Amino acid sequence: MRQVREGNSAFGLTEQRLMFVAVAAVMGAALIIPLCWVFETSFAGPGGGSLEYWVSVFSKKRLLRVVGHSFTVSSIVAVVSTAIAFLCAYFIWACRFPRIISQLFRLVLLTAFFLPSITYGFAVIYSFGRQGLITSLLGKLPFSIYGFNGLLIAGTVYCTPFAFMLLQNAFLYVNRNYQTVSAMLGDNLLRTFWMTAFRPVAGAVCSAFLLTFFLNFTDFGIPSSIAGRYEVVPVMLYSYMMGAIPDFGRGAVVAMLMLAPSVIAVVLLRYASRLNFVSGSASASSDMPVNPLLRICGLAFLMAVCLMIFSVLAVVFVVPFVENYPYKMNFSLVTLKRLLSDESIASSFRNSVWVASLTVICGCALCYFAALLSKRSVLPRWAGVLMDFFAMLTNTVPGMVLGVGFMFCFGGTFLMNSFAILVLCNIIHFFTTPYLMCSDALSRMNRGYEITSALMGDSYFQALRRVIVPNSFLTLCSVASYLFINAMVTISAVVFLCGAHTQVMTTRIREMQYYERFDAVFVLSFLIFVTNVAVKIAFDLLPAYIPALRRSLRRRREAAAARAQ
Amino acid sequence: MLELLRVSKQFRHSKAPVLRDVSFTIGDGEILSVLGPSGCGKTTLLNLILGVLEPSSGSILLNGDDITAVSMRKRGISVVFQDFALFPNLSAYQNIVYGLHNHPDASGKTEVDELIELLDLKPHLQKRISELSGGQKQRVAIARTLVLKPRLLLMDEPLSALDGMIKESIKALIRKIAQKYRLTTIIVTHDPEEALSLSDHIMILHDSKVAQFGTPREILESPADEFVERFICRQLYIKRDNIMKLFEGVSAREVA
Repeated sequence: MRQVREGNSAFGLTEQRLMFVAVAAVMGAALIIPLCWVFETSFAGPGGGSLEYWVSVFSKKRLLRVVGHSFTVSSIVAVVSTAIAFLCAYFIWACRFPRIISQLFRLVLLTAFFLPSITYGFAVIYSFGRQGLITSLLGKLPFSIYGFNGLLIAGTVYCTPFAFMLLQNAFLYVNRNYQTVSAMLGDNLLRTFWMTAFRPVAGAVCSAFLLTFFLNFTDFGIPSSIAGRYEVVPVMLYSYMMGAIPDFGRGAVVAMLMLAPSVIAVVLLRYASRLNFVSGSASASSDMPVNPLLRICGLAFLMAVCLMIFSVLAVVFVVPFVENYPYKMNFSLVTLKRLLSDESIASSFRNSVWVASLTVICGCALCYFAALLSKRSVLPRWAGVLMDFFAMLTNTVPGMVLGVGFMFCFGGTFLMNSFAILVLCNIIHFFTTPYLMCSDALSRMNRGYEITSALMGDSYFQALRRVIVPNSFLTLCSVASYLFINAMVTISAVVFLCGAHTQVMTTRIREMQYYERFDAVFVLSFLIFVTNVAVKIAFDLLPAYIPALRRSLRRRREAAAARAQ
Repeated sequence: MLELLRVSKQFRHSKAPVLRDVSFTIGDGEILSVLGPSGCGKTTLLNLILGVLEPSSGSILLNGDDITAVSMRKRGISVVFQDFALFPNLSAYQNIVYGLHNHPDASGKTEVDELIELLDLKPHLQKRISELSGGQKQRVAIARTLVLKPRLLLMDEPLSALDGMIKESIKALIRKIAQKYRLTTIIVTHDPEEALSLSDHIMILHDSKVAQFGTPREILESPADEFVERFICRQLYIKRDNIMKLFEGVSAREVA
């Protein structure tokens, strides 16, 4: 970055200033102003600026109860899912199973990423409820599935894959030589486990806990389907904003409250990463023999987790293909055909795909330009710092709070209930990860590309089009896949913003709940799943079929192999 | 004294053995360098001696005892890895005395202090691992293994992560330790210069077999085959020629 600045300070300056103005304007209008609006509304009061809404919300016992519920269920879900995810990642790392087993396990867990959280609640109801799949196998459960128990089961199944991915990645960087050293220095099994497996990823364990806590605390999908009378913060916010008598002032106060744990979680995440044992590259393989008993335990545990996830989600893949679940369980395409010919479902499917596609196009551009300004710009350093700040802020703001901000900010304008507002909200909501992915790719790229292009007579935009962007295609494919899938599964970000003609599949699922059309809920979930899998496969295969991408892929693999050596 | 008798190793899923009929003997306090190109079986040999792997055939004898079937924990052999594998959550001192928690009788306080003095680690004891230089990390890793008074010390590419002067000082240190403690030391390396300048014996591995075993002088003066000649001597000659050319260039410029 310094080289580009010092060596060629004028190249692309005007273009980058324009890009900066555009990105800052979008982020200002779609992130800063809506958040300010939420803040301002919470202090508005009927007669101007006051603390009335805050006092009113805080003086009610309801708030304490609801926040208590959210903290209790989120903490327990975070502990349970982090523990399960840690053990899964540990067993895969320590047992050194054949590649096919760890790949199969990842595949089962990946299923969870392709479904919206709202589906989990319904899946739990349909698996553990009175006529549920699991109830019919195991008998009636000794507890009610609605409320705390349901939230715990659905939350755990929903959050475990996220924690697992984080921990498995952390284990890739654990030095396997620690095991040899620990054995050589006479450690017993427990101390070996502590020093060579748990302690090196302690930071990632904390991160996984915070991530799953945050995910569960801010999620609206699961509680909207299964919470029953066990009210949690997102449901309270929804009832203030969209209840029979909307109360935006108190809703804004709850939105501000929802922001607090997220801010704390993001701050703590920065500290948590310091607890890890830092290793520059992926750990080399080890010749240390694996205890056969550990292998058996590991395999049994992984199978149990797969079974847990699959038994809850199986209903999504069963209902569309039986005649009338759970009464007529014979294979039939009648349900699927009937629901696919339903215009309301077909239109929400079209809307979802349309919104997700636009999110990909506009989101890739915004995230890429922001990363470009941060990592390869000739602008003053504060411009990059500002982009990093936007990324940190979007990471902190829960989807529902952003939705409330959009509602306040764009309510009554032509944008409300339009596709544009859904796309904008999705892009801002999912900005952080694609931004970081682009930043990483751009900072690794050769520093001399712009200068070389300039010497060859290219303008800045020509250099971008001919050199910089083609060399980032692989990352852009990953970003596109990420944005599409998340835009398809999100409900928190768009639940306040959809209109009658812009209903997407996740909000339609919620609507179907009121009509008790549970077959439609699962067909919609199934459609989301199939679309996401198809898109993921398409973006994964794309590099193999485009020569330029194939070369990039080969270079990246070679670099990874060199790093591993 | 360490003795390997016709040791072979073949992994279950590989077609060819990684090591074939490796035999050699080294005495107390001697340094042996195991040299060879990548994939020739150097690390496998280290793992066999350490006890991480069991040989498919052959025996390993340490001071006359057959340790082939003895577990790694009971062999009394220590290893220093290329990446040092120091625990970064502990200070340098805590790393050094780590093994004493499990073997409190291995070394007394005076012995530990003496070792710290020998390795010149006193000013760095309270530092975190991330605050140490490459050479300091290497010395902490060596101290950690010596505290347990191993019967044999194995070092996997001990100098590859170090540069220039530090490399030379660590070489001198390894020699000093081997002599002072009469500690038999086996070093795995791919650098002929390192092996020649550090060892009492050199073993060159090629195609899973011992290509030559001898003193540095024997290997330089009478390489056993073309591979040894190419691998050791030519590398050194090329280096020598390049340096000579450099000198000639400098002289020519000076004359001009």
